[in-house]
Amino acid sequence: MKRRNRTTDTMAISEHELLAMTDDLDQLHRDVGMPAMNRAVEEWTDRLRLSRRGFLIGAGAVGAGALLAACSSGSSGSSTTTTSSGGTTSTSGALTGDLAVAALAASLENLAVAAYQDGLAAATAGKLGTVPPAVATFATTAKSQHAQHAAAWNSAITAAGHPAVTVTDPVLTPVVDQMFAKVTDVAGLATLALTLENTAAQTYQAAISEVTANSSVKVAASIQPVEMQHAAILYFVTGQYPVPNAFNPTNLARPGSDYSG
Amino acid sequence: MRLRTTGQRPEPTEGPPTDVDPTAMGLLMEESQDLHHDAMVTTRGALDDMVGAGLEARGATGTAGVDPDESRLVAESRSRTLRGAAFGGGLLAAAGIGGALAAVASSPAFASSSTDVQILQTAASIEVLAVAAYKTALTLPFIGGSGANPVITTFATMTMQQHQQHEQAFNAAITQLGGKAQTDPDPALLKVVQAATPGLTTPTAVVALALELEEGAAETYVADVAALSDANAVKVTASIMGVEAQHASVLLAVQALLAANAPQLITLAPGNVANLPAAAGSVGFPNAFYPTANARPASEGALS
Repeated sequence: MKRRNRTTDTMAISEHELLAMTDDLDQLHRDVGMPAMNRAVEEWTDRLRLSRRGFLIGAGAVGAGALLAACSSGSSGSSTTTTSSGGTTSTSGALTGDLAVAALAASLENLAVAAYQDGLAAATAGKLGTVPPAVATFATTAKSQHAQHAAAWNSAITAAGHPAVTVTDPVLTPVVDQMFAKVTDVAGLATLALTLENTAAQTYQAAISEVTANSSVKVAASIQPVEMQHAAILYFVTGQYPVPNAFNPTNLARPGSDYSG
Repeated sequence: MRLRTTGQRPEPTEGPPTDVDPTAMGLLMEESQDLHHDAMVTTRGALDDMVGAGLEARGATGTAGVDPDESRLVAESRSRTLRGAAFGGGLLAAAGIGGALAAVASSPAFASSSTDVQILQTAASIEVLAVAAYKTALTLPFIGGSGANPVITTFATMTMQQHQQHEQAFNAAITQLGGKAQTDPDPALLKVVQAATPGLTTPTAVVALALELEEGAAETYVADVAALSDANAVKVTASIMGVEAQHASVLLAVQALLAANAPQLITLAPGNVANLPAAAGSVGFPNAFYPTANARPASEGALS
């Protein structure tokens, strides 16, 4: 065994300990977290299918959870049906209300997944110069979490009988394409990722005030801080102060018109 | 990149195998599993509700309408959300749950605005405590002294200022609702901080306490946005919760670098990223869904 100098030993320990602190989390996300949530959602869905009548009666008796949604107007010429989620389905089949927000969110998550994936592919192909290992780890982990977010939003959409949103945000995608075409190094990729993370976080923050169902608020609220954490680390690795705002703005929030189904 | 479906994505590139000590891994796995479980329980519950609503939409016939007493129902629903908040481990859990939350939130005598005021007063009290904690930390030579890591000093100073702004914002929302501003620290958390203060002899100990406070604040506000009924209160809280999560994220990264005996890597110097260990890229965001297990009780910092 070769004798190592002190500096090397220190870094080896650093790497070792830090990997121990994070690789297990990544494994959990892949092996326990998402599958467990999917199973729970499926089981719950099956149970509701079997007891739909009882559920609806019960919901009506309880009152608070169900039927609290405001009846948002659908697109012109379409009538809408209000649901307990605040989501509505127009007669044209387009999503409105909370389900439309979920669809927009899913398309944003898909875009983030695609961007990180393309970034990792470019890095692997040597198109971004030397890629620090921390950047690769960040991109891989953030991509995985965005995929989980997309699945979470889509689980509500598919439960309503609609197909999952598998496309990237149609309005933002060409813009991101243009930005990505100009990326030649890690700093450029991090800047692009930062834009996407802030956009997602601000969209969900705005959505919290727009959706009507409490469950929709909870989902958006549980994801928004995670996107902001992604942004904080991106600020840090690019040498910027990691918490630039005392109050997160919403000027980058995407409108519902980004995704029309 | 192009507009595409996620089904067209190639498989992710696998990284090199990692040499990890199995004992350390086991301990960390257990700890991480607890954290992840907490986060997933919260999100799964919300998703379950959404899924259920989606199923209802699937079978809807158009007879469903708007409840005539919608506001009251929303407030009641959100009060139930509050009552469902639980506590996890860590220093903050030692403060105890008490029964105050249920006593306040379950009472039908409380109008939604009163509940909102209590929630906001508790939030303000958390901010007051956070300001005091960072202020105290900055008096320590290894945090605010000339020999301290400048990034840590800057972070403590900036974060203290941001918490001051949060306190002002929460109190402004309170007065807007006709309530009394809260300028005292959360009494339960104050005891925790006071008990921990003698042990704050190293940067690691300070970071651990600050992390507990930040995560507690973030989780409280994540729970609050689903419990508040006033639109302005929701907006204010939503604009703050992610900022506290960012504070926590930075502290997680700093904590990991201190634990790895690499304090020299806590810097914003250009090019530092090249020196960071691979795992530093993800240590700051351990959960895909932010948990609420350590959310503080809504009435904990409320004025009587």
